[in-house]
Amino acid sequence: MKLRNNLPAIVLVTLLLGGVAWSLTASRLPPADFTFNNHTEIKTVDPALVSGQPEGRVINGLFEGLVRLTPQERLPVTGGPEEWPGTAERWEISEDQKTYTFHIREDARWSNGDPVTAEDYRYSMRRFLSPITAAEYAKQGWYLKNGKKYNSAGAYLEPGDRVEVELNLKPGEHETRIGQLVKGVLVRKDPPEMPEDEEERDKITQRFYIDVDGEERCYVIGDASRGDEIPNDAEPCRMVTLDFDEVGIRVVDDRTLVTELENPTPFWLQLLGFYPLFPVHRGCLEEHGAPDWTRPENIVTNGPYRIGFRRPRDRVRLVKNESYWNKDNVRLETIDALCVEKSTTSLNMYMLGDVDWIEEPPPNLIREFMNADPPRDDFNPAPQLGTYYYKFNVERGPLADKRVRQALALALDREEIIRTAVRGPQKPGYSLVPPGVVGYTSPEIPHSDPQRARELLAEAGYPGGQGFESLEILYNTHEAHKAVAELVRKQWQRELGITVTLRNEAWPAYQDRLRMSQFDVGRQAWIADYNDANTFLDMYVSDNENNQTNWANDEYDRLISAAEAESDEQKRAELLYQAEEILLDEVPLVPIYYYFSRNMVKPHVRGFYNNLQDFHPLHAMWIDDEPGVVNEYMQGAER
Amino acid sequence: MIAYFAKRFVWLLITVWVVFTVTWILANNSPGNPFTSEKSFPPEIEANLRRRYNLDKPPLVRYTLDLGNLVRGDMGVSTKQVDFTVNELISLCWPVSAALGLAALAWAAVVGLVAGVVSASRRGTLADLSLMSLATVGIALPNFVIAGFAILLFSFLIPLLPPAGWGSPRYLLLPAFCLGAPYAAYIARIARTGMLDVLSQDYIRTARAKGLSRLAVIMKHALPTAVIPVVSFLGPAVAGIITGSLVIEKVFAIPGIGYSFVQSAIDNDTPMAMGIVVLYTILLFTMNTLVDAAYTWLDPRVSWEDVS
Repeated sequence: MKLRNNLPAIVLVTLLLGGVAWSLTASRLPPADFTFNNHTEIKTVDPALVSGQPEGRVINGLFEGLVRLTPQERLPVTGGPEEWPGTAERWEISEDQKTYTFHIREDARWSNGDPVTAEDYRYSMRRFLSPITAAEYAKQGWYLKNGKKYNSAGAYLEPGDRVEVELNLKPGEHETRIGQLVKGVLVRKDPPEMPEDEEERDKITQRFYIDVDGEERCYVIGDASRGDEIPNDAEPCRMVTLDFDEVGIRVVDDRTLVTELENPTPFWLQLLGFYPLFPVHRGCLEEHGAPDWTRPENIVTNGPYRIGFRRPRDRVRLVKNESYWNKDNVRLETIDALCVEKSTTSLNMYMLGDVDWIEEPPPNLIREFMNADPPRDDFNPAPQLGTYYYKFNVERGPLADKRVRQALALALDREEIIRTAVRGPQKPGYSLVPPGVVGYTSPEIPHSDPQRARELLAEAGYPGGQGFESLEILYNTHEAHKAVAELVRKQWQRELGITVTLRNEAWPAYQDRLRMSQFDVGRQAWIADYNDANTFLDMYVSDNENNQTNWANDEYDRLISAAEAESDEQKRAELLYQAEEILLDEVPLVPIYYYFSRNMVKPHVRGFYNNLQDFHPLHAMWIDDEPGVVNEYMQGAER
Repeated sequence: MIAYFAKRFVWLLITVWVVFTVTWILANNSPGNPFTSEKSFPPEIEANLRRRYNLDKPPLVRYTLDLGNLVRGDMGVSTKQVDFTVNELISLCWPVSAALGLAALAWAAVVGLVAGVVSASRRGTLADLSLMSLATVGIALPNFVIAGFAILLFSFLIPLLPPAGWGSPRYLLLPAFCLGAPYAAYIARIARTGMLDVLSQDYIRTARAKGLSRLAVIMKHALPTAVIPVVSFLGPAVAGIITGSLVIEKVFAIPGIGYSFVQSAIDNDTPMAMGIVVLYTILLFTMNTLVDAAYTWLDPRVSWEDVS
């Protein structure tokens, strides 16, 4: 064969080899000081848009809130720089515990050298609560006075309210900009109420009649260039909200910020130390727009780190921020956050020393690691603020009868579930609020009692399970959930003689079924965002979107709202206790087990503490290769 | 030739449009939305999210907006990785999958062809039997099993290669081996069948009769015709392999695009799923076109008119 004939093949092979070589060399990096497996690709580094822990770990390194939480108990830091406090050097709380005045430290800087000001926090809160941003965690800002009303666009506006209209952006302007603002007083809405049903609501264009400097103008939310129809007699706008000046966050001067709350909220400082409320740099956002502002070369941060390199599905490299006010107390220069999802792969990399911390070993090895002899020096499971439970749809057949629900709860053998299905360090759960919440101890649901369960079922009219319609347990497709569901089915069938079936659905379908109450028994888990009983108990008030059980109890609702308004911590805890007692007696849900964290941390990693939220800030960690030292993580472990 | 490619290009546009429309209808009618999570949102926040993702607009308006963006080459922002546009994600992740796929296919093609030709020319011998048994094993064993053995052997027992990750040629060897193994096995079997077929033809007998050596006959006369079935197999195989493998990428923690093929659909990440479907359509179409074009080069009996 002649060369000419083979030319296409030769060109092709050369191009292919060149491509392979390019793709490999384009990405070589020296190893970081500290590498951990962040388990999954992060959704974003934008604090306002996050909702998960993997994002939180990175954002906690990039940005800094008014308050930081201790790496040990995750409570607000009040000490000096060596304890890693936040941007506020001190704060005062008013007598009624609703007004907080924060004083921002003078040397706080953004990574581009700009000072961090009170206005930065106000801007970031406005952005967080703006309906345009559509923050999933916006509820964290509802504790502010009028926070909910502002976040809910036009839904709760009433005639006479001071409102602001954000006009549409000019073509080509970045979406991150704030459109021109028109302020006025709401005269009326047409229609005054929007239908609850989404599809019905989508068909209606609501008009807002607003008095602007004595002139009545009509606005509708919409943009003709995005396919919306704008009526002839109305002006289009991007959003209509309550005037942000009505929201309880106020700049006194560059270094003084005041927040006013709707109710005394004992966990407000904790929320300010939680990543969704961290600030962003307005100039950076408006200059580059989304998502370009998050690029390593563009992003401006105010925390201990900035982004050095980022490749999706591979890693985020954090590099120490030399403008950070407390940089002297940050010891790791570079950190790699990997996103290895497969737990065996993660363990392989950990065992060969490629990573220093993994979230958990593969579930089938946990038992072996717990019982290792000699005991491992890098595995120390610890309690976590999370509960795994089943909830009942109280409008479904026999489940409407409280005695049936109680019987189902009594027939469960949680020890057996943990021994044979969960196979981990988790502990049996007898309350919705797990142990460890500050200033609160839960009542307990009665422990396993199959005899009493059978009696209750007979009283309800189903002796030995006769005449009982079959029950269906709904869970999302996952080995671990399946193992628990199968055992629960076996226990209920064995103890009560009833028929139980299982139904697993992929995540979105499972969520839809829960939301539309198309289930008998549904799997659920809840992990606390902050250390307070309210984050669990608030879910079961009658109008909470997470309730989904159709269970409603006036006394329960009353107790929860009384607790929200109560400023005395002791009395508040009592009210919450009474509420949880009702919940555990009425059994719209049955707790199964409490969560345990299962980190594996190399012995040379220091400054890693077990805590109830299983959250481990990177700025507190360092590497210490000296042999024989027991690191913070392993302290208190059985050895 | 130019007329042929122009015609195929028009068909490509039509195919992309049809695939886009069908996928769009499926994606927009599947349960859930891009923002379902363990914690449900209050209706007020859900309303904000629906507005942000244009879900409050009528379907036809949404379809027109999306199609307009496709025409402009803008696939939007992934809903699960909001710091990247779909185009950026594809341009960052796809080269990784492509490099891995090509490396895998390169060794698979070379080893597979040699094994196939050797088996065919030594039909019935021990060499043939053992090579074909190996090929059967290669097809039967799923590649995650091969991966498990390979990692155990080359990362733990003989610590030569990293168990996972990406960044230098060392990281490429194990995943490329595992990804290519079943392809090598297929190619060996196809090449053997093709070769046996050709070797029994008259023109081969003529070549032998005029005194050419066995090697010369195989290499010069038999091989070009015998590889045609291999090329037909390689076309779609290239499109498949360079768009990544979910399993291999997960096991070896490779930042490729194979993961998104499955996960974007599960996550209801519609922009990403649409982007990937469009990419795959274009690739598959292109590879099939190239395979047809290759016939005219490999087999003198085939002309451009035949392939159009």
